[in-house]
Amino acid sequence: MARARLVAPKGGLVEWSLATFHASAFVLAIVFFLYSRDALGPALGGLNTLVGLGLFLALWATTYLTTCRALEGLDLLREGDQVLFARRAFRWGAANGMAFLGVLGVVLIASAVFVSPTVLLPVLFVAPFALLISAVVGALVGLIFSAVDLALLALARGALDVR
Amino acid sequence: MPLDAHALHLAIRWLHVAAMATAFGGALTVFALSARTRNAGLDAALVEIALRYEFMFWLAAGVLAMTGIGNLAAFGTGLPLSRTDWGMTFVLKLGFVLGLIVLSLPRTLAIARLRRAGSQPLTEALQTRLRAMYGGTGAAFAVALGLAVWLAHG
Repeated sequence: MARARLVAPKGGLVEWSLATFHASAFVLAIVFFLYSRDALGPALGGLNTLVGLGLFLALWATTYLTTCRALEGLDLLREGDQVLFARRAFRWGAANGMAFLGVLGVVLIASAVFVSPTVLLPVLFVAPFALLISAVVGALVGLIFSAVDLALLALARGALDVR
Repeated sequence: MPLDAHALHLAIRWLHVAAMATAFGGALTVFALSARTRNAGLDAALVEIALRYEFMFWLAAGVLAMTGIGNLAAFGTGLPLSRTDWGMTFVLKLGFVLGLIVLSLPRTLAIARLRRAGSQPLTEALQTRLRAMYGGTGAAFAVALGLAVWLAHG
């Protein structure tokens, strides 16, 4: 049962495009915000390039899996499923936030534990709070993106009027 | 064996250029094809090609975002400030790329809806819209490419 919950259903173009749109737009918006405040250089300076690429891939993967779960059984291209989609985006956004924090936590702990094994104790203390915050942030981001998605879907309907 | 940072950044740049070429070239290809269809069979093929392009487009968009940040990481703390000429052009490019990604989603969803509508001859109005969508995407990529070239060599 637990395994079945983790495995995402086979996604199509809608899942793939929405997931990539969310992951890319989210990261680009953060880059835009940091760079316009001259905070991007110092932030990137402390990040290993391969780790950075790996983290983006991890975010992309968790976003794809959670988007597939959020759209499972829904037909977003048809009208009528939008409210359910927004509710699911809230829930699976929270799951995405926690999943990405999990990946980030593993990377940070793995790199820090070699320098100082005592770092594990504060991490264990902070982890539940961090998980809670990541769930709230993920849920809010999911909700915002669901509103953007629905607005863009309305635009798509207007762009090519097909039955 | 330690990883050669120069080789890594070269690989990231190559991937960035390859993704850009895929997205830009693909948009121009679909645009060119949409100007040439004259019957139902070719219309169905055009929609199928556009659908394949949309899968490739989003793969390229993700790779462009990922490797674009990788390219920035090569600057490290030497990244020019946002108030310099380079910085202002970069902010413009970033905003432009964000806009391009946002406005690409309706195009993808519209193609998904068109495919679902089944094989039918495209009306003149639909063909015109398709041409406008892919012509617009190609033009937007040309602008992004111009800004990228300025940032690299300007």
